[in-house]
Amino acid sequence: MRLTRRDFAAGIVAGIAAPHIITSARAQGSTIRIGMCVPVTGPAAEQGLWAQNGAKLALAAVNKAGGVLGKQVELVIEDDQTTNPGIVLAFSKLAAQSDIVAFLGSIRSTQVQAMAPDVLKLGKPVMIGGTNPGLTHSGNPWLFRFRPNDSYSGRVIADFGVNTLGKKKWAIVHSTDAFGTAGGEALTDALKKLGAPPVLDQGYANNSQDFTPVVLAVKQSGADVLGTYFTFEGDLGIFARQLRQLGVNIPWVGSPSVVAVSATKLAGPALFGTYGVADYAEDSSEASKAFGKIYRDAYKFAPDNQSAWTYDAITILSAAINKAGTTDPGKIREAILATKKYAGAEGEYNFDQNGDGLHGYNVVKNDKGNIVYDKHIDFND
Amino acid sequence: MSTESEKMAAVAPLGRGKPLVLRHLPYFLCAAILVALAAMTQFDGYILNILMQATTFSIAVFGLSVVLGLCGQINLAQAAFFGFGAYAVGLGTADLQWSFWLCLPAGVGVAFVAGAFLGMSTLRLGGHYLAMVTISFQQIVTLVMINAIWLSHGPDGVSHIGRPELFKSSQSYLAFCVAMLAIVGYVVWHLPDTKLGRAMRAVRDNELAAGVNGIDVFRTKVYAFAICAALGGLAGGLFAGGFAYVSPDQFSFAESIVFLTMSLLGGVASPIGSVIGTGLLILIPEWLRFLKSVPGLYLAIYGLFVILIVRFMPDGIWGFVAAAFDRWRAQTKARPAVKALELKPASVGGDIVLEVSGLSKYFGGLKAVDGVDIAVKRGSVHALIGPNGSGKTTTLNVLSGLYVATAGKIVLDGTDITRMPPHQRTAAGLGRTFQNIRLFRSMTALENVEIGAERTGNTMIGKGDIKGSSAALTERAMEALTFVGLGNRANELISSFSYGHQRLIEIARALAANPTLLLLDEPAAGLNSTEKLELHELLKRIAAQGLTILIIDHDMTLVSEAAQHITVLNFGRRIADGESMAVLRHPDVISAYLGSE
Amino acid sequence: MDLILQLLFTGIGIGAVYALVALGFVLIFRATNVVNFAQGEFSMVAAYLMVVFSVDLGWPYWLSFLIALGGMALLGVIFNLGVYYPLRHRTYLPVIIATIGASILLANSVLAIYGPQPQVLQGWFETPGLQLGPVYLDSQYLLIISVTVALVIFNYWFFEHTLLGKKLQATSQDKEMASLLGISVSTMIMITFIYSAMLGGLAGILVAPILFVSIQMGSTIALKAFAATIIGGFGDVAGAIIGGLALGVIETFGAAYISVPYKDGFAFLVLVAFLIFRPQGIFGERVAEKA
Repeated sequence: MRLTRRDFAAGIVAGIAAPHIITSARAQGSTIRIGMCVPVTGPAAEQGLWAQNGAKLALAAVNKAGGVLGKQVELVIEDDQTTNPGIVLAFSKLAAQSDIVAFLGSIRSTQVQAMAPDVLKLGKPVMIGGTNPGLTHSGNPWLFRFRPNDSYSGRVIADFGVNTLGKKKWAIVHSTDAFGTAGGEALTDALKKLGAPPVLDQGYANNSQDFTPVVLAVKQSGADVLGTYFTFEGDLGIFARQLRQLGVNIPWVGSPSVVAVSATKLAGPALFGTYGVADYAEDSSEASKAFGKIYRDAYKFAPDNQSAWTYDAITILSAAINKAGTTDPGKIREAILATKKYAGAEGEYNFDQNGDGLHGYNVVKNDKGNIVYDKHIDFND
Repeated sequence: MSTESEKMAAVAPLGRGKPLVLRHLPYFLCAAILVALAAMTQFDGYILNILMQATTFSIAVFGLSVVLGLCGQINLAQAAFFGFGAYAVGLGTADLQWSFWLCLPAGVGVAFVAGAFLGMSTLRLGGHYLAMVTISFQQIVTLVMINAIWLSHGPDGVSHIGRPELFKSSQSYLAFCVAMLAIVGYVVWHLPDTKLGRAMRAVRDNELAAGVNGIDVFRTKVYAFAICAALGGLAGGLFAGGFAYVSPDQFSFAESIVFLTMSLLGGVASPIGSVIGTGLLILIPEWLRFLKSVPGLYLAIYGLFVILIVRFMPDGIWGFVAAAFDRWRAQTKARPAVKALELKPASVGGDIVLEVSGLSKYFGGLKAVDGVDIAVKRGSVHALIGPNGSGKTTTLNVLSGLYVATAGKIVLDGTDITRMPPHQRTAAGLGRTFQNIRLFRSMTALENVEIGAERTGNTMIGKGDIKGSSAALTERAMEALTFVGLGNRANELISSFSYGHQRLIEIARALAANPTLLLLDEPAAGLNSTEKLELHELLKRIAAQGLTILIIDHDMTLVSEAAQHITVLNFGRRIADGESMAVLRHPDVISAYLGSE
Repeated sequence: MDLILQLLFTGIGIGAVYALVALGFVLIFRATNVVNFAQGEFSMVAAYLMVVFSVDLGWPYWLSFLIALGGMALLGVIFNLGVYYPLRHRTYLPVIIATIGASILLANSVLAIYGPQPQVLQGWFETPGLQLGPVYLDSQYLLIISVTVALVIFNYWFFEHTLLGKKLQATSQDKEMASLLGISVSTMIMITFIYSAMLGGLAGILVAPILFVSIQMGSTIALKAFAATIIGGFGDVAGAIIGGLALGVIETFGAAYISVPYKDGFAFLVLVAFLIFRPQGIFGERVAEKA
């Protein structure tokens, strides 16, 4: 049967009309609903899946313990497509549902910035994982951060490298995207304050296929320690291999991607002996060990910071709503900010007035493929 | 010959009557209603955002409908221009604290200039090469946006983008965007019927023919790019004001592909199609969110759909609908009577209309034309003949400007046209038809001839503003079509005409421009004997009006009967020249065709 | 000097990757006058096939390799029948767009089936590389360069000295004439797509150990390879090779001496320069349209 143009046109019309006719029935009022904007599609789809995993684990635990305000908690997920307009649309779709009391937002700072105006307008609490320091310093009272921001990662890297490893000639390699640039700046600042200004500040564009020029630049700079902010594990893998191939064996302290599961797998031996700052390190505390165990039991895979922060966010949020005794946004906010000395998977939460819950990082080491916990560095200023 | 009074009576009113704006009052009314609806209906934030995105994206896709749909040039950098507008508004209002009303036009201006600049690359390139240049441009712009932090804030993007005081609320801003959409839509809707629009369509259908019919192809393409870019910039500026935050990842090559697909889905050549396509491609993902539970599934289906649309609905959804409508419309248009075609060729120079001296064209080592002299007398029919490969068509191509002469001089009616590009030669009074018929296939017979009539300096139609000359243009075109005997089929598409009739339309197109000299390249090729007789009659009628004709053909009967003067070429050189009968009996000529004993 | 040598090696190495993919482009273009925007995805699919067979199923490397190439041949057939053949009489624009659609379809189908995590593929050799004086020679890059050289020789022999190769050339130069001479044009085109898909697949399998197997691996290379084709002169095989190598070297040196983040920009700047000043590329011939 030949497909004529008419058939095709009719098919398109039917295909478009159909889903519109299928409307979704919603459960009425018997649950507490929390919205979650997460990448289901787009380049960060993988991470989005892990984020959902962490949130769902926490949800199950909260519900098992009696739920929130006597009701079960439900997670409403919207795909933000890993794009800025995508998260604005996803958030506005969730925001339109007035029975959603709070939200989980993005781990990507540009996406948080994109949705920030709408968050401000809506006036309900949003838990975020993005690490750009500016997010909690721009006058928006509704953003609560569940990972330490990049001003801390930079300081921890600097502190560890200078004070613990004793190295003062730094080469910084960072991605030119938002995360990498901000991170690089934070590290440079921290190093200057410690009296060890970097000898090389090298940016690279994401998805480079070859890092030879970068490696050679590091070699030539005479640096005795390397600090990095890599966004994508693929880049990290190629860089690490070429670094070792070209004979650069200086100590390396990097941002969390350096010790992430996928990077370790891709780069193999090239990353042995590297240090990384990790907001989530399984052995850093009892709470993180416990989380690690639950996650492995459920998903047969080791967790990382993508799932840890959402786990903590749901847990702390639920606790805060229970403590506030109401779904009133202002009261929830107070309750969250009052959360101190809470042992979460990511670390000990002590919320400050800006909405930042964590103020330090774990330092971990890649010991022949196993990520082992080294120490925790916190800043209490 | 009819008398003056008869002529007057026979002229039916071809004019359009009421002014354009009034006739399209329904459009403006609808637009006003939509704007009011946008301003007053209570939308929730989600719908508001979707509508905002759809409206601004539609304007960008309008741009594509101009450059791609109308002018046939591919542009894979629309997201870059969208970005220019967005950043202009973003940086202007957030950093420099300028008024939105200053930033928006500035953004449009920057995009316009950038688009013109990109369009200039079409001077040398078309097709895939052009696609690559636009992709490269896009990639470079994205790289700069990300890395030039001093200029663009880099990957962090620009936040706290301002809106005009007048439209501070989202509702009113949306209404403003809808109003802009309606205005731009109106302009784009009518663009195909303006001189520039017709020129674009001609370039899309057949560049070579467009050039020899007096259209400055390069300039038309540059305009098309500039307009497309300007619309993209406008859309981006509105988008920035609407969403208050922009970052480089929104202006990447992937976004350009999104714009392109939106344009294709709805119908690349029409603004309505653009709106349909944009709306669908913004709404469908929202409706089909359930498909997104498996990463990649939605986009895979999307990719499949692109292939299917290109295969089965190349004109998009609206094109499909509109084509049916057009077919109906072509049959029902009234056919007013027209007066007889007048040909008043200029006569500045003396007796010789075309003087060719020492003309040579070499292709590397091959001397296709070697030192040829031709002198065409005013008011005569002059034939250029020779066996296959003698250089006749090459000579004609050099005369009309499609090839640049290696040496020699061409003087048309006192003007040296040797170095002029084709459209300037047409303006100087040269008309030509092609051996392998080059009509604009997507247009009607009338529209094809109108393009010919539109050449610069055509004294037979009114000059000046659109209103006055469009009626005169149609009138002139109808006269030419009637002159060749096809007036009653003026509104049919080219594809419905027989080969012989298409040839006649091509001649009508050339005549409508009132040329000083008409070049006919093998006009009898492919005609049957009846059609050849008709052609001969036509040539006689043309010659009777005093127009000079230079004809190439193989049909010796036609040549000997129609032409008074013959020039013969062989192996690129002139071997005989003179009065017809004498030349045809010349021994060199006979041996060139038939070989010697 | 050490620096320059190392950069040169890496530049040629990555350039050889571009050259391999460019070869696939050129062949399809010559036969069908179509630019295949899905060429990069051919590389990506083959790499994933290798992962499925040699890593997930654990089959021997050489066997997986053969199966992967076979799979690519099949993909070439499907691609021709589904995308090019129905549109063969239309202008270039619908075909370009259809191939863009195909590239989106392929990339996301793989994503839907396999998931977004990048995968590791082992190289052909056990030793990762050799140190030759001051220069480190990655063994996989050495392999790529050797294969490219071998392929160039093979291509030359095939197209110039076998009947099939000459038939393919004839078809690409003048379809009508070829068919008048009794050559089945559609068969020739099918063979071209199969060969080109296999070439693309080969490039993907060779480069995967270096760049890792990911959904996006095809597209960046393809864009650069396309640029290389134009620089070398569209439609010319030698040009594609030279163009690819040149591009790899320019990029690497540009990154080292001018700016690393703008590395991708160099490719495009060079491309634009060529398009403006010498659109026929280094080796191509100017083709004027006949009136």
